[in-house]
Amino acid sequence: MRVVKATKPKTKLRYSVKGKQSKFFDAQGVDELVSICMMLAQELWVVKERLATVECVAEKKGIVLGDEIEDHEFTPDQRAAIDDEKKAYLDRVFFTLREQAEALEADTSNEPDAPAVP
Amino acid sequence: MTENVTHDLKVDHTRDERARQNFVSGMRNYVLNGLAAHLRTVYDNKVEPAFVKANKRKPKDGPEVHKAMKDETLFKYYSNLRCNTQEAVWRSVIPGVEREIEDLNRRAQVLSQSTENAQGTLTVDPKFDVPRYVSELDVHLMPGNYHEERVAGDISQGAIYENGLSVFAMGLLGSRMDDITQSVSTYFQMRNPDFKPTRILDMGCTAGHSTLPWKDRYPEAEVIGIDVGAPMVRYAHARAQSYGVTAHFAQKDAEHAGFEDESFDIIYSCMFLHEVPGKNIRNILKEAHRMLKPGGVMIHYELPPNNIMTPYDGFYLDWDAYYNKEPFYKPFRDMDPSDECARAGFDKKDFFYYIAPSLNFYGTDALKKAADEDKAQSDSNVGRFGDGVKWFTFGCWKH
Repeated sequence: MRVVKATKPKTKLRYSVKGKQSKFFDAQGVDELVSICMMLAQELWVVKERLATVECVAEKKGIVLGDEIEDHEFTPDQRAAIDDEKKAYLDRVFFTLREQAEALEADTSNEPDAPAVP
Repeated sequence: MTENVTHDLKVDHTRDERARQNFVSGMRNYVLNGLAAHLRTVYDNKVEPAFVKANKRKPKDGPEVHKAMKDETLFKYYSNLRCNTQEAVWRSVIPGVEREIEDLNRRAQVLSQSTENAQGTLTVDPKFDVPRYVSELDVHLMPGNYHEERVAGDISQGAIYENGLSVFAMGLLGSRMDDITQSVSTYFQMRNPDFKPTRILDMGCTAGHSTLPWKDRYPEAEVIGIDVGAPMVRYAHARAQSYGVTAHFAQKDAEHAGFEDESFDIIYSCMFLHEVPGKNIRNILKEAHRMLKPGGVMIHYELPPNNIMTPYDGFYLDWDAYYNKEPFYKPFRDMDPSDECARAGFDKKDFFYYIAPSLNFYGTDALKKAADEDKAQSDSNVGRFGDGVKWFTFGCWKH
């Protein structure tokens, strides 16, 4: 993997949003936990996209070179395939939310009850 | 997918930065199409029936829907992820801009000074007083907003805005991120084939996406963009020069733009008024009325007002006012645009609104058909960033 040496920027830009932050969950720390999960999902995506790039470049050349990975542009077909995969991937990561919505559409009136929690 | 900036102010993002941007675009698509659909399912199957049972009627407006929805777990996830995704839009492009800032500023200066491709002018006011509603707020969670400057001649906020917009748009706005004004101006021209404007003003022009399409429609017209952010007008001017489009840009406040009386045929704004407090909007509309020639027209691409939306769609669109640092968004949507035009000196009978299907999404034939029919029928796709988006536009002729 080509290692890009981090250089300190001469002029620093601001990354944080100033002022009050919106919070949605009652329990302390849950909003932050969701934020961290999303960033983890993003970093995992970065790995997946880099891996896809490696595979495409390897297929094209039979040899993997760092600079080629850095400069590679997906063909429109490859891009479309990877975008489809991204959609499916997000649906997997956040499956619990889809499940909550879909549960409302199913008739569960005859489902046997679990034993009462002691 | 993300449409990357391709003109001479292009930022060279690394492979991993581009992957982060692709993720954020995909994440936005997931939240605004996938999760939003789930949210609607929860409302239809659970929240509204419970509300009807308790109140013997359906919710009457957006705030009642909001109140009924806000404790739903899915609403909390939707909202949290939307905020996180919005912040991630900007954070995914800042590193590249930060790395290239000195070079970007130099490139912008060279483009602005060159008269080779285009002959537009740039006017920046060193004593300009940025209005409080911009200076005190990171609007739509964008660090630095439209105006912050770190070094002389800085365009970094313009670069963050346009690169961020390309991630935000999920490809919906086309390769120049200008689909809204391309669609709106084409619709307007199709409706008014005999109207030949010679001078056009774009208020709150930001990076110039809303300015240059007018030059495509009316190549002979003089086109001017104004904005309160110096980085925006510098960026917009350099971008126009790079595209070879002659347009003029100036740092000015639309409330007192100061152009001569009756000097424009079209005064336009795009996604601008909803970021402005009500009393300032009223001043802006009055100023537009003053600067318009008799026979001229004021046109605003905007969010649709609540009075043409269902309670659920109103609730859905007003989300940004509460959680996305766009506090003036809901008060604006609660205004009646025709009343505001009348208050500014226009005649209410000259008021119009139309709904232009996205040119990029639906194509020219669909736009032509919509313009011919001119039904202005509102639906859930109006103003809602996602597949099938349609753009709400209102305006008034001056006689």
